[in-house]
Amino acid sequence: MRVGLFVTCLIDTLFPGAARGVVRVLERLGHEVVFPLAQTCCGQLHFNTGYQRECVPLARKFAADFAGLDHVVSPSASCVAMVREFHPVVAALGGGDLPRAVTATVPRVREFTEFLVDVLGVTDVGAVFPHRVTYHPTCHGLRLLGLGDRPTALLRSVRGLTLLDLPDAEQCCGFGGTFALKNADTSVAMGADKARAVVATGAEVLVAVDSSCLMHVGGLLSRQRSGVRVMHLAEVLASEEAR
Amino acid sequence: MSVWMGMPAFPDAARKALADSQLRANLRAATGTIRAKRAAVVAERADWPELRAAGRAIKDRALRDLDNHLSLLAERVTAAGGVVHWARDAAEANRTVVGLVRAAGAAEVVKVKSMATQEIELNEALAAAGIAAYETDLAELIVQLGHDRPSHILVPAIHRNRTQIRDLFRRTMPEAPPDLTDDPEALAAAAREHLRRKFLAARVAVSGANFAVAETGALVVVESEGNGRMCLTLPEVLISVVGIEKVIPTWTDLEVMLQLLPRSSTGERMNPYTSVWRGVRPGDGPREFHLVLLDNGRTDALADEVGRDALRCIRCSACLNVCPVYERAGGHAYGSVYPGPIGAILTPQLRGVDADPVSRTLPYASTLCGACYEVCPVLIDIPRSLVHLRAKVVDVHRGTPSAERAAMTLAAKTFASPRRFALAQRLVRFGARLLRRTRLPGPHSGWTDARDIPPPPDHTFREWWATRTDTPVVDHATRERARLDSGTGAPERDGPREDHARGAGGELGAGNDVVLGPGGAEVLARVRSALGSAREDVEVPREYAHAVEDDVDVVALFAERAADYRAVVRRVAGDGGGTAAAAAVGQALRELGAASVVVPDDLPAELLSQVDGVVLRDRGDLTVDALDRVDAVLTGCAVAVAETGTIVLDAGTGQGRRALSLVPDAHVCVVRAGQVVGTVPEAVAATAGADVLTWVSGPSATSDIELHRVEGVHGPRTLVIVLVD
Repeated sequence: MRVGLFVTCLIDTLFPGAARGVVRVLERLGHEVVFPLAQTCCGQLHFNTGYQRECVPLARKFAADFAGLDHVVSPSASCVAMVREFHPVVAALGGGDLPRAVTATVPRVREFTEFLVDVLGVTDVGAVFPHRVTYHPTCHGLRLLGLGDRPTALLRSVRGLTLLDLPDAEQCCGFGGTFALKNADTSVAMGADKARAVVATGAEVLVAVDSSCLMHVGGLLSRQRSGVRVMHLAEVLASEEAR
Repeated sequence: MSVWMGMPAFPDAARKALADSQLRANLRAATGTIRAKRAAVVAERADWPELRAAGRAIKDRALRDLDNHLSLLAERVTAAGGVVHWARDAAEANRTVVGLVRAAGAAEVVKVKSMATQEIELNEALAAAGIAAYETDLAELIVQLGHDRPSHILVPAIHRNRTQIRDLFRRTMPEAPPDLTDDPEALAAAAREHLRRKFLAARVAVSGANFAVAETGALVVVESEGNGRMCLTLPEVLISVVGIEKVIPTWTDLEVMLQLLPRSSTGERMNPYTSVWRGVRPGDGPREFHLVLLDNGRTDALADEVGRDALRCIRCSACLNVCPVYERAGGHAYGSVYPGPIGAILTPQLRGVDADPVSRTLPYASTLCGACYEVCPVLIDIPRSLVHLRAKVVDVHRGTPSAERAAMTLAAKTFASPRRFALAQRLVRFGARLLRRTRLPGPHSGWTDARDIPPPPDHTFREWWATRTDTPVVDHATRERARLDSGTGAPERDGPREDHARGAGGELGAGNDVVLGPGGAEVLARVRSALGSAREDVEVPREYAHAVEDDVDVVALFAERAADYRAVVRRVAGDGGGTAAAAAVGQALRELGAASVVVPDDLPAELLSQVDGVVLRDRGDLTVDALDRVDAVLTGCAVAVAETGTIVLDAGTGQGRRALSLVPDAHVCVVRAGQVVGTVPEAVAATAGADVLTWVSGPSATSDIELHRVEGVHGPRTLVIVLVD
């Protein structure tokens, strides 16, 4: 299967390991990954901060960059949610041909775990990761995309991996895009509670499907010298680490 | 509406609250408790999604044709003997209420908890006019005695724990015993003592309403403690200040709302008391009823195609209880009477997004996590409205240079070109390396004060991709983009819609100038202008359960559910002559230690054959004080609801006027098996057309102290149900 990779600006720039993980897993499963080089950003930052007009050219660009691909996969739940839920809203604002272009592209965009479980029908991707792991369901993955137990089903199939329950897992970590800056104190208070819950599990690694949330919680865990690492789910699934 | 004077922007107010560890502990404990209760009673309903869909549609149906529904409501209330007043803003509403209290010759009023009267700061307006207002809801009383501000819609004193409340009562309540403990039962009893005389002596009461039924002119107040019943029933004059968005189209709609609200709000199958009344009823309740219909910014919200969803709100506060931001920042940080997620979208709309620092920052007081939308009983997509309001804030300030605007513009330009983006990536990596061990400057210092910056990678993803051999590069994008670029048209917002506006005095309530007055005419004109082409006939899907499953024994279920909410249930065999029922009544009164019992004049005499004590027959001549001296009341009921353990009184045969079953401290109610229906929809259908209704589920109760349920406040502290098969 030929699969387009929507890498997202944040992962491309700061967390390329997550995207390399997607490539590795898909290729290991025998699929061809293509990377449309023109892609940049879906506009979530602008949209969620109130700069909706600025999103119009970005939504148009996205539709063009990924047009013609049967499958588009991304390692970011929140960016997929932006594209699927809100590009149609932006398209209505932009008018012209944009709504049609968006309607044509958007349904083919899937978050990585959705693609693996729903389209490829796999939960065991042949990964080996002999570590204690806890999983934080990020809000947009949980509530906008409804990822359900897809991520944990994938994790449970990883050889050697011990999955530990995260208390109050469904509570937001407090990242929230520009919320992390505009309401830094509240954001940190929420993140600190999340970090405390993570540490309490005794996990070595915190896993999620959004690098932005991991950047926030990971930043706190690192500042606290907690010894807990953060990893994107795709990196774990890509791992073939020997026991 | 009022944003509290001098309130700082949300982030600053939140910072102060975060430093208060006692506040955070109180909030965490309280919201955790209520979250669990709500989850349990919602999980019980397999048809919860259908109920929510119906709830949304009912409110939309009212709102999308609001002028006609308001006209009809005003007409029906007037026909039932009420007087309708219209208030364009807070000042007009306050003037109206002050005038009505003065006309009644009263110097004080008792108040039922009401968000609308807090919104317009009625208590302050009354005080300025020399009128004392007594808040009677326990939490509102705590707030009022402490010269505090409410911080939660349902539990305004949620930020106070029992010890703080005990100290406050000892300091401010003359009636409080010196050895008052922090036991919630003791605190509730102290509040009962404090307010009892005020209820019994009050001549004027002020309330809000949860719902106003256009079709019948019925007003509905949902409560727990019995303070609402006291206020709605005992005074001579009742003034209800009700937002125009509280209207629902039909009586049947109540069957949905009376299920959604208690389960979402207090986490109960049914709240202890629901009062329904239409206008005035001779010999039962107030002699005068005034309905003040309040706009105060609501029509501005109605004009906003996305923001108008907030007007569906039924003030349940489920969104507050699940909001992680509310849990940390507390209610005061939201700077208005409407805290939490709903406040973050309501306050800026009622005030204007650029009205003050609070309104400007509230749309940003959320991570957009969506927990609020997940629990909203009327499906308000709060995150969507927040983002929409953020765009309004940004658009108001377009043209004013700011660091954020500059950064966003630069980012947009960068993202427009892959080449510029690749360059920016290199700059970010360079910057991140440079600043890795330092703190970020300016507005970004908020990040590094507590969080490390991730170590920058050696290569961006696209750099890594370029190093791979045989990498397929998709270039069809350029062609596709060129095609799209050539086809851009002018921005088009809402396309023209078919116009089915009905205009002034449509099919419903024909324009009634006497009811309207200048205020009403203007409010309705605002509604018409706000709706424009958005007027719509909304269909209400009613796929939720109307009856219980066939194999359910409704009488047994009623007995079980009534007992769940601490009613004492005595089930006796029906024996035609009613001997067993009379024996059970007599025994119940003996166990209560009741030396006297009051009964409605038309109560069947055979029920009294085993009563030992004094029996008073009420012919409407007993004073409130006389009722207060009686130990118990014995009545029948109109219908009983199995699913919620509720008895419903409609003041019909054997039930008496409303004060009768309210003032005495123990209520014995005889329910015949044939009166028990399965569900709330069946009970609503069975009571259509009633002038007054009192739904009773267990004894009066409060959860205002740490959300700890205490049975027995202002309404009867004991409810005995004699269930006759």
